[in-house]
Amino acid sequence: MSETLSGAQILCRTLVEEGVQYLFGYPGGAIMPFYHALGDFPELRHILVRHEQAAAHAADGYARASGRVGVCVATSGPGATNLVTGLATAHMDSSPVLAITGQVSRPMIGRDAFQETDVIGITLPITKANWLVQDVSELADTVREAVAVALDGRPGPVLVDVPKDVQNQKAEYRPKAAARQPRPTSHAPLLADGIAEAARLIAAAQCPLLMVGHGVILADAYAEIRALAERTGIPVITTLLGISAFPECHPLHLGMPGMHGEVHVNRAIQHADLIVGIGLRFDDRVTGNTAAFAPRARIVHVDRDPAEIGKNVKVAVGIAGDAREVTRRLIEAVAPRRCDAWWEEIRRYMRVRDEAWRDGLSPEAICRALFAVTGEHCTIVTDVGQHQMWVAKLFPYRRPNGHVTSGGLGAMGFAVPAAMGVHLARPDEPVWAISGDGGFQMNMAEIATMVQEGLAVKMAVFNNGYLGMVRQWQQFFHGKRYSCTPIWSPDYVKLAAAYGIPGWRVERVDELGDVLARANAERGPALVELVIEQEANVFPMIPPGGSLSEPIETAPAAAAT
Amino acid sequence: MAEPTHALSVLLDDDVFALNRAVGVVRRRNLPIASIAVGPSHIPGASRLTVMMQTDDAGADRMVKQLQKTYGVREAELLRAADAVTREVALVRVHAPAAVHQELTEVAELFKAELVDEGPDVFVLQVAGAAWFILSFVRALERFGIIEVARSGIVAVRSAAPPSPPSTSAAETVL
Repeated sequence: MSETLSGAQILCRTLVEEGVQYLFGYPGGAIMPFYHALGDFPELRHILVRHEQAAAHAADGYARASGRVGVCVATSGPGATNLVTGLATAHMDSSPVLAITGQVSRPMIGRDAFQETDVIGITLPITKANWLVQDVSELADTVREAVAVALDGRPGPVLVDVPKDVQNQKAEYRPKAAARQPRPTSHAPLLADGIAEAARLIAAAQCPLLMVGHGVILADAYAEIRALAERTGIPVITTLLGISAFPECHPLHLGMPGMHGEVHVNRAIQHADLIVGIGLRFDDRVTGNTAAFAPRARIVHVDRDPAEIGKNVKVAVGIAGDAREVTRRLIEAVAPRRCDAWWEEIRRYMRVRDEAWRDGLSPEAICRALFAVTGEHCTIVTDVGQHQMWVAKLFPYRRPNGHVTSGGLGAMGFAVPAAMGVHLARPDEPVWAISGDGGFQMNMAEIATMVQEGLAVKMAVFNNGYLGMVRQWQQFFHGKRYSCTPIWSPDYVKLAAAYGIPGWRVERVDELGDVLARANAERGPALVELVIEQEANVFPMIPPGGSLSEPIETAPAAAAT
Repeated sequence: MAEPTHALSVLLDDDVFALNRAVGVVRRRNLPIASIAVGPSHIPGASRLTVMMQTDDAGADRMVKQLQKTYGVREAELLRAADAVTREVALVRVHAPAAVHQELTEVAELFKAELVDEGPDVFVLQVAGAAWFILSFVRALERFGIIEVARSGIVAVRSAAPPSPPSTSAAETVL
């Protein structure tokens, strides 16, 4: 059965066929035929953002929370270029995002037409693949292929660029053929023969560690990781993107490693004789100076992407495969054991945090109060900077995949729009976007999107009047010259009022619980400003390029200026 | 440009997007490139891209893995320069007044170069061989006055003899 449709209708039909429910987008000249057709497809709910960057972040948030492809739509030229930061974020953090962009009509391409940019060229290095649709006859299969590529193997963003005249071209529409195989995007042979060797190393190790990352969340391997840890007693470290892959409250959970990892976690790494890394890429923020990283440890590296194995650290055993599948096989291969002496040693590394906070409005108190009001099923979406590190380390995550953040790219402005996507994927659970005053002001226009579309995202702004993480680096490494980091904020309570949503300012810890509870109970979006100490620092800190053995634990003495 | 250490041989879809993507993977590593050549392969619909470059075994291995997961790339392999047969073709337009015809022809014969086109005062000579051989030929022609040189870029295949022992890159070392 086939029927004649326009390219725009075929695009909509194909998206419906692929199970897409939400589009985050912004109309414009070269995508207008698509927006015209969209009116006939009530299955597709369009969320009108205030900036295309937010569309890409929201699609990313939706993809991370749902495991399905997140879709963003933009017009040619500025619409398409505004997607770039969001696509780069999704690329670094392995998130399956499909971007659909309008393009100028085919006869105009290459002539510097109005709102023409070579978005294929621009996004080549930040997508898994991208396509310029040359003829309407290719359109449906291109979209199907794009969705398959986005989800296949290690997920990532894809882009389909559709010239305006192709959207208007007519063609026979043929429904998707059954059981169409996605084209494989990785041809390397899987290095899966290392299971027995990995098991032997686990049995022989005196001081083993499990380090788990985003790959565990993507593979839905929570139960398997937990079973492996419990069978062996090995302490579990969760990377920034691996947070919520393993319950924070579990006695085997150790914490986050790396630049802002707790001292005992990094010391454990430096003393370990075996690190079993599953679904992570040993990013420089995790390893510090790789030459001094885990000097005594052999490394077993499990990752879905063969190109990651051996890329950043030298591995003893590399296993390219799905985290769940490989972990299952590891569980079968390892004998039960305990790590009591090793745990004894690690406990000796642990110290109690001791920081004085003005009026007690500390990140600890905030995270504790937030957990108390949101409960176990909350998703926290963080932005980038000091608050991101505090919340990563201090919020007691319970919900698997309950932590969403811009890790690899570190894109400020991520939290607020990404939380809109998370909310649509999890409409019945509380979703909190936590930002600093810098990142929040980058994309706070999206409050209007939330109001217009009825998206009940709760927002918390850690306001310290600075671009705090940069200020901290200035304090530590640039002689305390706070160049261009003090940042003025509007009155957030009035801002909330201007958007017609409830807003609160919290300056004292005794106000915290009540305000967070009221915000959390709101049926729509709500905004809470948390006025924290201005020059608080994230401790400990490994200086950039430094070894995990040399953390900074206190602020340097005031430098001569 | 110092001597390339490795030949990267990539079989990819015969379209400009795949080529662009593959070259992008090479470019972003920011390594010295001696030569890039692309042309049809023996497989319909697939091109062969050859990149001669300077890197170490571990760096080359990382690049091969990145290429292997690149959309549109069908195969990528790395040949150490020592394990590869490499050839290049050059076309040289050279001043050729009648007075030097004899001498030019002798130089051409020495390098097994072919006279592929000739005008009243210009010869177009074609030479094929390893990069150093082409360079020697070009140098030998310099005194006649070179007008233009166009080189194809180096193509490479694995040599017929067994290769030297494979590199022990980190990822493949299974204890």
